Amino acid sequence: MKIIVFIEQIVSTQVKLKGVDYFDSSRVSEDDLVINPSSKNALEGALKLKDQLGAEVTAVCVRGLKPNKALREAIAMGCTDAIEIADETIYTDDPLLLAKIYVETLGQIGEFDLVFLGVEEQSTGSYAIGAMLSEKLGLPSVLYAEEIEVIDSGYKVGHVLEGGRKIVAMPSKGVISCSDSQYFTPRYTSMRGILTAKRAEIPKWTAADLGLSSSVVGKEAASLIEVSFSNIVLEKESYIIKEGEPEEKVENLLAKLKEDEIKLGA
Amino acid sequence: MVKTLVFGQVREDIIEENTLGVLNKLTEISGISEVIVALFGHQIKDEWISELGKHGASRVVSVKAPELEVYLSRPYVKAMLEVIEKTEPKLVIAAGTVYGEDLIPRLAVHHGVSCAQRINDITIVGDELHFHTPVRDDQAMKVTRIEGAIKFATSRSGAFFVNENPTGGSPNVESFDVSFSEEDMLVKHIEIKKAERTVNLKDAKVIVAGGRGVGGKEQFQIIRELAEILGGEIGATRACTDVHWIEETYEIGQTGQSVSPDIYIAAGISGAPQHVSGIKAKTLIAINTDEGAAIFNFADYGIVGDLHVILPILKQKLQG
Repeated sequence: MKIIVFIEQIVSTQVKLKGVDYFDSSRVSEDDLVINPSSKNALEGALKLKDQLGAEVTAVCVRGLKPNKALREAIAMGCTDAIEIADETIYTDDPLLLAKIYVETLGQIGEFDLVFLGVEEQSTGSYAIGAMLSEKLGLPSVLYAEEIEVIDSGYKVGHVLEGGRKIVAMPSKGVISCSDSQYFTPRYTSMRGILTAKRAEIPKWTAADLGLSSSVVGKEAASLIEVSFSNIVLEKESYIIKEGEPEEKVENLLAKLKEDEIKLGA
Repeated sequence: MVKTLVFGQVREDIIEENTLGVLNKLTEISGISEVIVALFGHQIKDEWISELGKHGASRVVSVKAPELEVYLSRPYVKAMLEVIEKTEPKLVIAAGTVYGEDLIPRLAVHHGVSCAQRINDITIVGDELHFHTPVRDDQAMKVTRIEGAIKFATSRSGAFFVNENPTGGSPNVESFDVSFSEEDMLVKHIEIKKAERTVNLKDAKVIVAGGRGVGGKEQFQIIRELAEILGGEIGATRACTDVHWIEETYEIGQTGQSVSPDIYIAAGISGAPQHVSGIKAKTLIAINTDEGAAIFNFADYGIVGDLHVILPILKQKLQG
């Protein structure tokens, strides 16, 4: 059994860069780069099946400034191996182009059973990739999964639903996107895993290796075109208390609420 | 002029409110010529059609089939593609629910284009549709356009208000059949486990809500105590209800309840869009150890600090 997990590397949200600056790659260092938490949920989903069924799990990273770092962490978590897709001509801000790259990557890998992804591509705020990929592959899928149970015919998957949870059965070959549920809470890397990751050879594939030209996956091929990107100027003034001892902070808040005639109780 | 097709969604036997929000938004945009709603199900109720008409739908296209009783990607994509072919819209839009976010990208793939997601505004500039999406915890706004004859988009949950006194009329109704094969039903519906909604938070004037930062089931006690002193209700993010720190009835946000209290105290809540989209509070007070937490972007007042230290002091002061 073979599982492919597509992961994304992002700038940690702990990095205190506001608004558009957050997306300015010249402002971040390698230490600021982490695996998208949503991708970590997907890694956990795949690794749970590896533990249970002895699957081979391959992590693939296309998006990120230093994908190699993210992939070594994925191996340290327990992935069998990893592939880096790196090519300056690739444009990944359009989920349809990203789906095309994923399809060709899967074609190059060959046989696989399941594809796992995080629900959200955090660097673009896109939730489309799972749906687009499964549609392009013509494979059944369950998105926003919260838990997975192995059954005879494939998998019983519970997924997020407004007002509850929906349970469906899917065949053994398909696409699953994982949400931030308790079941997919990512495991820590182990010392043994870290050593394995250090030694691992991670192949680097280019667009040409995948048989893709920039006219197919470059910026000129994008159908989602950015018109503008700007900071949101908040109209309201927030009163955020950062300094002082806890008691002073509470007193400060209550005094300000009183001054502004805000009644705290019902 | 932009002919628009809206994916009609039903939740708990009524038209889902974000779908009504999308309709109201579309009626406000000059340049939208006709609003068509696609409505699928095993049964289609007259009151749903009437509700859609009131909120601005001029035409409802319905497909009735047992395979469409519950949303599943393949049959819904198939039915929607046929509706698109018959109605020839320039814009196809769905409320950004779990189903809407699943459906729209798939339809876009079939038309060879990408899609805009979780938009909170649409503008028409010249002949172009511009889609506005807040990103990076609502700190930045990305405006995009889509190449191609048909544009596909989802709205952000809670982005568009629902007109409480809609003045639309009766829509024209047409229905047709779509046939499904075994291949369309590879993913099978087993059951929907509805979250128990024993508490209605909609009318609560004060809500004290906890997030992942609360840290555990027992630690929710301080949230309960403060809510009681303030004569309010408690609330939580999905992260807390998922791990059973608190009953799921208290979940607030896109997949939980939508609330509009006078006071909302968000304790240990990071401010993810999925949670914040369910809150329309007059005053939001945030308490979080992380100064960079997104919740402070939405807060009117806030304390950077540990809720387990701050809330007991606040409780004591209020009692004192």
